[in-house]
Amino acid sequence: MPRFSSDQARVLGALMVAVALHLTGTALIQGYSSEFSMRAMLVLASLLAIASIGQTLVVIIGGIDLSIPFVIGFANVVTAQLYGGGMDFGLVCLIVVGLAFGIGALNGLISSSLGLHPLIVTLGIGTIVQGSVLLWTGGFPSGSAPDTVTEFVSIGGSVGFLPVPWLVPCFVVLAAIVTVALARTPYGRRLFALGSNPRAAPLALINPVAMWTVTFGVSAVFAAVTGILLLGFTGSAYGEVGQPYLFQTIAAVVIGGTALVGGRGSYLGTVAGALVLTEINTLLIGLGLQPSLVQAVLGVVIVVLVSFYGRDPHVRTTI
Amino acid sequence: MSDSPITLSARGLSLKRGAAPFDQDIRRGEIVGLAGLDGHGQDAFMETLAGLRAPVTGSVTAPLAKGGERAITSFRRAVQSGIAYLPRDRRATGIFPSMSILDNFAIATVGRDRRLGLISPAERRKRYDYYRERLSIVAPEPGRNLITTLSGGNQQKVLLARALAHKPDVLLLNDPTRGVDIATRRVLYSVFRELANEGMALVVLSTEIEEALVLCDRILVFREQELAAPLEGVARSSERIIATMFGRAA
Amino acid sequence: MTVLATSSSAAGRAPALKAIWRQTGFAPILFIILLAINIFINPARFAPSAWGTLIGLAAPLIGAAIASAPAILGGRGGIDISVGPIMGFVNAIVVLVLIQKLGLTSPWIVVGAAVAIGGLVGVLNGFLATILRIQPIVATLGTYLLLVGTTLTILPAPTGTVPVWLKALGGPLSILPLGAVFLIWFGIRRLPYYDHLMAVGSDDRAAYTAGIPVTLVRFLSYVITGVFAGVAGLMMTALIGSADPSIGPTYTLIAISAVALGGVSLAGGRGGLIGAAIGAIDIFLLQSALTYFNFSTFVLQIAYGSILVIAIVLTALQDRWLGRSREAR
Repeated sequence: MPRFSSDQARVLGALMVAVALHLTGTALIQGYSSEFSMRAMLVLASLLAIASIGQTLVVIIGGIDLSIPFVIGFANVVTAQLYGGGMDFGLVCLIVVGLAFGIGALNGLISSSLGLHPLIVTLGIGTIVQGSVLLWTGGFPSGSAPDTVTEFVSIGGSVGFLPVPWLVPCFVVLAAIVTVALARTPYGRRLFALGSNPRAAPLALINPVAMWTVTFGVSAVFAAVTGILLLGFTGSAYGEVGQPYLFQTIAAVVIGGTALVGGRGSYLGTVAGALVLTEINTLLIGLGLQPSLVQAVLGVVIVVLVSFYGRDPHVRTTI
Repeated sequence: MSDSPITLSARGLSLKRGAAPFDQDIRRGEIVGLAGLDGHGQDAFMETLAGLRAPVTGSVTAPLAKGGERAITSFRRAVQSGIAYLPRDRRATGIFPSMSILDNFAIATVGRDRRLGLISPAERRKRYDYYRERLSIVAPEPGRNLITTLSGGNQQKVLLARALAHKPDVLLLNDPTRGVDIATRRVLYSVFRELANEGMALVVLSTEIEEALVLCDRILVFREQELAAPLEGVARSSERIIATMFGRAA
Repeated sequence: MTVLATSSSAAGRAPALKAIWRQTGFAPILFIILLAINIFINPARFAPSAWGTLIGLAAPLIGAAIASAPAILGGRGGIDISVGPIMGFVNAIVVLVLIQKLGLTSPWIVVGAAVAIGGLVGVLNGFLATILRIQPIVATLGTYLLLVGTTLTILPAPTGTVPVWLKALGGPLSILPLGAVFLIWFGIRRLPYYDHLMAVGSDDRAAYTAGIPVTLVRFLSYVITGVFAGVAGLMMTALIGSADPSIGPTYTLIAISAVALGGVSLAGGRGGLIGAAIGAIDIFLLQSALTYFNFSTFVLQIAYGSILVIAIVLTALQDRWLGRSREAR
C-alpha cells in the first residue's frame, strides 16, 4: 500500500473521530448542536488551528516550537499596550508581526546553524520574550483590541447570511492557502524534503539554515496573529493567554497524523486535530466534568488516538 | 579527445596538507574514472570537484560561456557552473524516503515546474517522463508511490534523473553502480556512453576496476591523497591499476 | 603548526579534564562564577551551617533535572515531560492520602510509596514510548495531562502538613535523598546497562545490530526516570511541607533546561547526571543571586532564558572548535 494514501487515511481518521465525538455530544447533551455551541466550537477550533499552522510546518521540517505560547502572549500584550497608547492599529499589527517573525527567525537560525535541539532553543528564547514583556508592562498589561478585531472573532458575529464571524471563512481561505503552499510551491516541497532527509537536502540545493529560519519565523507570525485574535476574543490583554496552546498545538499536529520525526504530514490533518481537541473539550465540559478531569481525560485520549496511527517504526525496520 | 574543449579543470590541487599538487583537465565527451584504495583521495577529489570540500591548495575552475573562468567554491556554485553530482550513499544522502518518486526526481530543480508561481504537476510529469524513458525507469504511479517502494537500481536511476535534470556539462558520479543489479548496470553504462557521445563530461568514481576499464577513457589512480598515475589507452590494464593502487608502480 | 602541537599535548596531559569539559560544557564554569557571586553577596546564606537548608531549597530542581536525564540519554527523541507532574502527583498522594487520610507517617511507607508511584508512572511512560512506540514527547504529554488533571481533581487547593522526619529531609538532612539518588546512579553506571543506554542513545541501529535489546534498555530508562522523579517529588514535599497541586508541573521545563545546560545532548547518548545536576545548581544559584538583588521575577526569567541560550550556543561553538582541531590532526 502506498504511504500517500495512508497519510490521507490519517486525516480522514481524525475527521471521523471529530464527527463521532460531535454525534456523541449531540446524543448525550442537550443543546450540544445548538447554533451557539456550534459557533463557539468553530471559533475555538479556528483559533487553535491558526496557532497550529506554525507547529505543523516546524514539525514537518523535523523540529518543534515551544515558543508559540510565549509569542501568543507577547503579541496579545504588546498589541493591547501599543493600541491602547493610541497607535494606529495597522501599524501595531505590522510591528507585532514583524517582531514575531524576528523572534521566530532567531529560533530557527540558532537551532539549525549550530545543530541545537529546537526544543531547548525555543524554550529559552520564549522565556526571554515572556520575561521582557512582563518587565515592560510590569506584569499588568493595559489596553484593549479595536472593535473590528472583537467583531472579527465574536462568537455572535455573522457574515452576510452565514451565522459565523469573519474569522471562520477567513480561516478556511487561510487553510486552503497553507495546504496549496505545502503541496504546490517549491518552499513546501523543500520543507518536506528537508524533514525527510536533512543530510540529502543540501545536495538537492536546499539551504537548511534558510529554511529553518524562515519556517520558524512563519511559525511565530501565526502565533502572533493568534495572540492578536485572542485579544479581540477575550477583550483584555493577558500575558499567559497562550499557555494552553503549548501542548494543544503539538496535540493537534500529532492527532492529525503529522509525524514528529519530520518529512510527513499535512495541514488538513492539523485542522482535523484541532476539531477533535475542541470537540473533546466541549463534550467533557458539557458532561459536567471538572476542568481538571477534562485535562486528565484529554491526556488519555491523545495517547489512545496516536497509538492507533501515530506509532514509530521499530528500530529493526530502520536498519 | 585531447583537443575537445575543457569543461572543468583542477590547478595545483592538493587534497591534504603536504600532498603533491597536481593539474587535471576534464574535457567534453570523455569519461574519466577515479580509482584507488578506499579513502586514498579519489573521494576527496570528487568532492572537491563538486565544491563540497575546499581544496587544501590550488583551485577547481569551470570555463564560462562568455570566456574566462569561474572558481568552484561551493556546491551551489558548482551546480550553477553546470556540474551535477550523484552521491555515493543513496540512503544517507540521496533519497528522501517519505516522499514520492516524482518528488524525489524534481526536488533539486523544483523551481522549473512552476506555472504562475505554483508547481504544475503536468509539467513535472513531462520532465520526469523524458528521463523515465531515457533511463528506462520502472516505477508505477510515480506521483503516489514512495521512492522506497522501488528497487535499489530504480532508486539509483531516479537519483540519476535528478542529477541530469540540471542539464549539466559535467556529471560527477560517486560509485554509481553500488548495490545495483547487473541488468540495471548495463543500462547505466550505455546511458553514460550516450551522454558522453552527446558531449557531456563524466567523472566516475568506481570501486570495481573492471567497471572503470569497461567504461572509462582515462583512469586516475589515487594513492595516499595524491594522484599516483593517470592511465590512458593501453596503459590502463587491471594489473597496472592494482599495482598503482598499492604503490608498486614500475 | 604550533597551535596544533599545543592543543594535542594539552589533550595528552589531561584527557580526563577534557572529557569532563566535553561532557558538561560551560555548566561548571558558570557554577564557579555563580557560586563566587552568591558567596560574596550573601555569605550567611552560604555558610556551612546553612548548607542543609540551602541544599533542601535546591534539591527538588536538582532531583527533577537528574530524573529527566535517563530518558533523554536513551536518544531518538527520548524525553519525559511528565517529570514535574509526577512530582506533583507524589506530593498529593503522600500528603493527602497517606499522611492525612490514612495516617501512615512511617518513613518506610512514605518513601516506598513515592518510589513505587514514580516507578509505576515510569513503567507506563516506558510502555507507551518504547513498546507502543508513540513518540516520547506525545506519550509523556499524555501522562503529563493525566497526572496534572488527576492531581488537581483530588487536590483542588493546597493543604496538609508533613511529619517531622520528612520536614528534616528538606532542611538539615536534605543531603540524604539527593545522596541516595546519586548512589543509585553510580551503581547503575557500574552495570553493563549504562553502557547499553549510552550506546543506544548515540546510535540505536548500531546498538541493535550489536545485539543490545534496544527496546528494553529504553524502557528501563523511563522507569529510572520515573523512580527518580518520585524521589524528587518527595524532596519537593519535604521543602514545601504541604500538598500543593500547582508547584510540581512547573519543574518539567526548567528541569529540561537544566539538563541541556549541563551538557546533556537532547539527541541522546551524550552527557550524564552530574552534568544535569550542575545545570540545575546553576539555575538555582542564578535565581538565588537575582532574588538577593531584589530583581523582579521578570528579570529572573529573562536572565534565565538568556543564560540557557548563551550556554548551549557556547557549548555548540566549543564542540565545533574541538571537532575542527581534531579533524585537522
